[in-house]
Amino acid sequence: MLEIPAQIWEKVRRNYIWRSLFRHGYPDSRKNQSLAVFTNVFLHLHPVKVRRHALAIPYTWCMGGLSFFLFLVLTLTGTLLMFYYRPTTEWAYSDIKDMETVVVFGQLLRNMHRWAAHGMVITVFLHMVRVFYTGSYKPPREFNWVVGTLLFFLTIMLSYTGYLLPWDQLAFWAVTVGYNIAAATPVIGNEVAFLLFGGFELGPNALLRFYVLHVVGLPLITAFLIAIHFWRIRKDGGISGPL
Amino acid sequence: MTLQRGPQPYPGQEKRLRLLAFVRQDSVVRVDKRVEDTAMVWPHLLVIEFIVAMLWLVALFVISALFNAPLQDHANPDRTPNPSKAPWYLLQLQELLLHMDKGLAGVIVPSVWIFFLLPIIPYVDRSREGVGTWFTNSTGKKIFLFSAVYTTVLTFALIFIDAAAKSAGYIEWASQNLPGGKVLIPDYVIPITVMTGLSVLLVVLVKKLFGADTRGWVNALFTGFVFAFLVLVFVGTSMRGPGMDLYAPWNLPTTIE
Repeated sequence: MLEIPAQIWEKVRRNYIWRSLFRHGYPDSRKNQSLAVFTNVFLHLHPVKVRRHALAIPYTWCMGGLSFFLFLVLTLTGTLLMFYYRPTTEWAYSDIKDMETVVVFGQLLRNMHRWAAHGMVITVFLHMVRVFYTGSYKPPREFNWVVGTLLFFLTIMLSYTGYLLPWDQLAFWAVTVGYNIAAATPVIGNEVAFLLFGGFELGPNALLRFYVLHVVGLPLITAFLIAIHFWRIRKDGGISGPL
Repeated sequence: MTLQRGPQPYPGQEKRLRLLAFVRQDSVVRVDKRVEDTAMVWPHLLVIEFIVAMLWLVALFVISALFNAPLQDHANPDRTPNPSKAPWYLLQLQELLLHMDKGLAGVIVPSVWIFFLLPIIPYVDRSREGVGTWFTNSTGKKIFLFSAVYTTVLTFALIFIDAAAKSAGYIEWASQNLPGGKVLIPDYVIPITVMTGLSVLLVVLVKKLFGADTRGWVNALFTGFVFAFLVLVFVGTSMRGPGMDLYAPWNLPTTIE
């Protein structure tokens, strides 16, 4: 009896299609474990081996990885939210209301997006704190620290542009605070405010600009910098550790 | 005949190697080469990543099932809530706005921090000493604790002093008696002097008290940044009521619509 599943598994593994997908056996030997990592486009972000202390949660807090995880969650939930949302002052608010009352699991989806966004600001900040106090910005990782500070800035901007989209009182007045700050930029205040908000008050243009920045512009730049950030971790010798 | 390891040349053909190029190790990639205690990524790292991702996904589901994202009434430009607050992660800037010129607090100070002071850290502290060790050593830990207390106490103190001075009629006094009126000295000179002065004082103190090296005083300044950020966010979130007046966190009135 027990050999039947084993035979099926063996058949599947020798199958032409299976072998076109996976070019290694089950990763229970060192060779196959290595192959599993470096023949897989997702896993090959990782080296085949890491220094053992890099696995220690008290060292990394997992905060960098969690930030990336939350970025993925936000991309997924955000894409789903886009199906139900129109970035105009006529529809934005009622679309969010519909999300909460009409769309199946819409409230859950919106909640997940909201809390993950707050969470990502926290995890990115904690990641920066961890990297600083473990001295992980030191040579040869100088430039990756710079990329990281930009990602911190982008995380806050992503969160902030998303804050306006429900077009409720909370969103409107919170972003008004930001508008006043932008308009107070020395010398070019009005130009900066006009560029960001598309006018001299918070209206349809501001909503559309924030929407486009939130769903296309900033995520693209962020994804681009994340790619550089991860690439540089590998090129700079992996997760930092004692000399 | 013993079996040789590795790929063998065909019979009758010698294995030949040609030097294509000589690449110095640190010219392209700078990898630390040292005696390594390594683990295979599959399974050791991937298991951790998978479990952490699953735990957080479950946590996010639970939080999202329990707490709804806030949604107030439709935006109305004619009805200003008192106070109107930015999202919490920008409340440190909104708090600064109360104490100095708007452009200085909202644009210049954060820009200097995020685009200059934070990015140049690795170019100032260039030694590799202490990498991979929390706080470098026990002195680093002391510098961290000292700077955290120093910044927390002083940030709260400055906020209270400013509130006390303003309620004592400082603005009116300044507009009549100070050169530049209530703008130049209260909005620019004092804030800039206080911010840079207290930072310099912190560096001097950690050098005197702990004999801090470059890593030490950069540690002090970064700790100052983190704790000033946290204190300002806390005050902005939990201590600012209607009119952006100060309240005790447990006594904070609700927003007036």
